[in-house]
Amino acid sequence: MRYTRRHVGTSARTLGLFGLLAVVPTCRLVGQDSIRISEAQSVLSQLVESYGVSGSEAPVREVVKRLLPGWVKTETDTAGNLWVRAGQGEGPVVIVAHMDEIGFRVDTINADGTLGLRTRGGFILSLFEANLALIHTDRADIPGIFLPRDTGLTRRTPPPLRVSVGASSRAGAESLGVKVGQTITMPKQYVRLAGTRATGRSFDDRMGCAALILALRTVDRAKLRHPVVFLFSTREEIGLEGADAAAHQLGTSTRRVHAIDTFVSADSPLELQNFAAQKLGAGAVARALDNSSITPPAYVDSLANLAQARGIALQIGTTNGGNDGSTFTQFGVVDVAMGWPLRYSHSPAEVVDLKDLVSLADLVRAVAEDW
Amino acid sequence: MRQPEALEGWKVGMFLLSILPTFQHSLSAQAVDSLAIRFSGMTAVTGYEQAMTDSLLVLLPGSVRDRTGNVTVSLGRGAPKRLIYCSLDEIGYAVGNISDDGYATLRRVGGGARLSPLFDQQLEGHRVTVFGRRGPVPGVVAVRSTHLTRGRPTGNEAPFTVDNAYVDVGAASRDEVLALGISLLSPVALTKRPQRYGNGLVAAPNAGRRAACAALAAAALSRPRVRGTVVVGFTVQSLYADTAGLKTIVNLQGPFSDTRMVTVPSKFGDTTVETVALKDVDALVADVVQWMGGGQ
Repeated sequence: MRYTRRHVGTSARTLGLFGLLAVVPTCRLVGQDSIRISEAQSVLSQLVESYGVSGSEAPVREVVKRLLPGWVKTETDTAGNLWVRAGQGEGPVVIVAHMDEIGFRVDTINADGTLGLRTRGGFILSLFEANLALIHTDRADIPGIFLPRDTGLTRRTPPPLRVSVGASSRAGAESLGVKVGQTITMPKQYVRLAGTRATGRSFDDRMGCAALILALRTVDRAKLRHPVVFLFSTREEIGLEGADAAAHQLGTSTRRVHAIDTFVSADSPLELQNFAAQKLGAGAVARALDNSSITPPAYVDSLANLAQARGIALQIGTTNGGNDGSTFTQFGVVDVAMGWPLRYSHSPAEVVDLKDLVSLADLVRAVAEDW
Repeated sequence: MRQPEALEGWKVGMFLLSILPTFQHSLSAQAVDSLAIRFSGMTAVTGYEQAMTDSLLVLLPGSVRDRTGNVTVSLGRGAPKRLIYCSLDEIGYAVGNISDDGYATLRRVGGGARLSPLFDQQLEGHRVTVFGRRGPVPGVVAVRSTHLTRGRPTGNEAPFTVDNAYVDVGAASRDEVLALGISLLSPVALTKRPQRYGNGLVAAPNAGRRAACAALAAAALSRPRVRGTVVVGFTVQSLYADTAGLKTIVNLQGPFSDTRMVTVPSKFGDTTVETVALKDVDALVADVVQWMGGGQ
């Protein structure tokens, strides 16, 4: 989900020991999963462990393609969006989730071999300071570190971050394969927590992508009341750019849009509880009011009725951030945004509940078939 | 004798032993590097070092553990009697309380006044491992959601401190946390992810200390020629209780005619990306072997 600062408008060779250590608790905590939870985890974990900073979503797009059912024919447009069309007729319903994640871009290669960075998306900079880094290239990722601050500054927010790949000169960095324009993140791993919870980075919006994939695996195409476009979009975190291109392509023909994106939850000891208090594990969320769009109350009621009829857990709430569906509203299209509760958004330690993913996938299927 | 119940889960540390390399008469630089990286992936919160010392006991034939927890191995015989040691413990955390809604809160172990005011901030929004009675449990330390900062100023805030560290293991109640084997005093540390980068560099928390211990272990395993007796020590609680570990060795096994602490140069100390050069580890092995033989 796009972070809007002022509300509206605005493998590295990580070593085997770590991997093995991580496996031990994961295996122990999972216990007996239902088939639905197991499938949700299988899809989600592959998406989360792929890298795709805004503008460089190709690795994620390939994972999405691999996970789609066999009947699906995909198209990639010039903005990098991946389209899946189902059903017949005019006036599509668009269901959109974004593939990109926050991160950095190499802006400069300094004379001392360090890399100057430009942020892609909004996040708390200190979460990356003094952490491991990965520079993503067309071939293998290049390992490095986000340098700790070298000043006496002892406030929370660091000065602009730099990355070291261990080189002491520009030529040295370039000899390792570093180029301006490459993207940078930190290593990430999907890890199961207690019960049906999991942690990782970039659940925003791989959960949405997973929900679309799971829905496509089960949707009854004969039941579709309208043509449906399942859209895996690009560059959401830097301004909803991929979705905006799709919205302009479809124009006023779009019947309705559903942004499937994070419901940033205040279900945390660090957050105020005056809104966004919807709980993890209590089901999908109708994101009825955020910083980019408002779902008309009649549509919220209709969605709630649909969920009730299908026996799908649904919460209704309001949170912050923008969503891809809002790019369609300029064409008179109603945005019925839906999501799932997420803790610790845009951090390396986001937490979700897999039950909410199952609920969301069922809801996506329901709006495709019955609404 | 049965170990105290609170430490039973640490036996999972024995799991690590199965992946430690078998050392024979000599050690290649590659094997030393591998050992340095593997030691850097281990956790040994000061005062709670048992998992790592379990591994050392199996790795080092003839080694013993004293009451304080130090691991020592004696090489050679006769006089002079010398001590060479490394400190294997690290500043970490222990569970101080568990809330009704399933969060563990922490107290820091070790550190004190010399610690950077930014040290605890490294926890915020990152993976941690809680070493419970049933083994390691993955968790994260809560952080405010970027989207919900709600316009509050963040640029000039004071650093995050351990007082705001809520460990989320996915539980929704105190009972669920306890069921995972987590209890008061369970050690907690950032999840270790040693990473090689550049030309022979390794980044990991406490990489310098661990690399030094790896070099010392490698030297001991190389069956060096020893002048007199050399006690090789891997000390605990160097960061707490007035260096109780080292003093215990001296009082139990001394006096020593010479004492040497081994270290490896490191950059970015006390951060998650403390960095060592593997060539320095290899050089230290050679230097330690020479020292054991009586050279300077």
